[in-house]
Amino acid sequence: MGIFSVYIINKAGGLIYQYDHISQRPEAEKTFSYPLELVLKLVDDKIVVAFGERDGIKVGHTLLAVNGISLEGRYLQTDGQDAMEIIAAPENYPINLKFGRTRLTTNERIMLASMFHSLFAIGSQLSPEHHSSGIEVLETDGFKLQCYQTMTGIKFIVIADPKQTGVEVLLRKMYEVYSDFALKNPFYSLDMPIRCDLFDTNLQQVIETSERQGIGNV
Amino acid sequence: MIKLNHIIFYFYYLFQVNVATFALLFSEIVQYCQNRVYSVSELQTKLSDMGRHVGNHYLDLLFVREKGYRRETKLINMLLFIKNNFWKTLFGREADRLEHSNDDERTYYIIETEHLVNRYISVPKDKGKLNCAAFTAGIIEAVLNGSNFPCKVTAHWHKGTTFMIEFDESVITRDKMVEGK
Repeated sequence: MGIFSVYIINKAGGLIYQYDHISQRPEAEKTFSYPLELVLKLVDDKIVVAFGERDGIKVGHTLLAVNGISLEGRYLQTDGQDAMEIIAAPENYPINLKFGRTRLTTNERIMLASMFHSLFAIGSQLSPEHHSSGIEVLETDGFKLQCYQTMTGIKFIVIADPKQTGVEVLLRKMYEVYSDFALKNPFYSLDMPIRCDLFDTNLQQVIETSERQGIGNV
Repeated sequence: MIKLNHIIFYFYYLFQVNVATFALLFSEIVQYCQNRVYSVSELQTKLSDMGRHVGNHYLDLLFVREKGYRRETKLINMLLFIKNNFWKTLFGREADRLEHSNDDERTYYIIETEHLVNRYISVPKDKGKLNCAAFTAGIIEAVLNGSNFPCKVTAHWHKGTTFMIEFDESVITRDKMVEGK
């Protein structure tokens, strides 16, 4: 369904800009009776499905809400009760649980960006050809990641639907928007996180235009 | 720094300057001023001073090239000249609107929805009401002062960018006499 998200990495491998175009993530809400067929486990202070895929709830999905009350980590937002305890106790059933794709925290995004930066460098070294570029396309069945590295070492990364076309054009346009509204801004320091309103607005416009044109070519 | 200003006022219509070049140069000017001041209002004053410097040097060039050595004496003609001719030579197009204040007969407004010097600049929240068009305000002030229309020009965030021109009382009185009012 178009462009999912956009990342910009500086020449040191640090994430300087990130934008999620599709904020709607697939969620599944279902009422369960005791005992729970899913196996849940605690990963990084989040409750994640480990086993028992069914009805749209996949392995790796996080528990987002219990009986309509959203969770913060493993605790309920309202009264701080431990969700694992609530699920373990049979008297709370039937219970309504909402699962969805994990939302990445900023720290996780930064780690993923620097990991990609390293893989990119490894990619160019592993190549049997001399003077090979780094990773340009990374394709899975769910998404296609495309990367454009500028001559100054900045990497523009777009994660989009595999059927989306015109992503190379989008990457070049992103570079233009960056050179206009970030580099010409006197209040922006090089290699720092980009916090410019005009940059955000124009980048979103460019992404929307590209998404509309790209889907038409499918 | 003075050499930098000389480069800026080569905006005459025969030799078009790339907007990217100007934007990068102006960005450096703003950073240069920022490193030498301690507050936002000082920054705006410093940008205005730079603009005044440019305006003073540009005034003669402007009148030789655009006006054919003629001098404006009527206030309204001078203001229209600024809005149309002066704006066209500096920014490639005319200013959007010229307005007279309802409350104060000494005050005029030149309004532009998207000002060229502000096109690529996103002012962060901690800089408050900073408007880098203070630079242009300085140019306008110097041109008007040099043409014997003493005034003060400031830039504000209103309907885009508004330049508020406050003339001295003497200008209004003199203008009324010239008109024979």
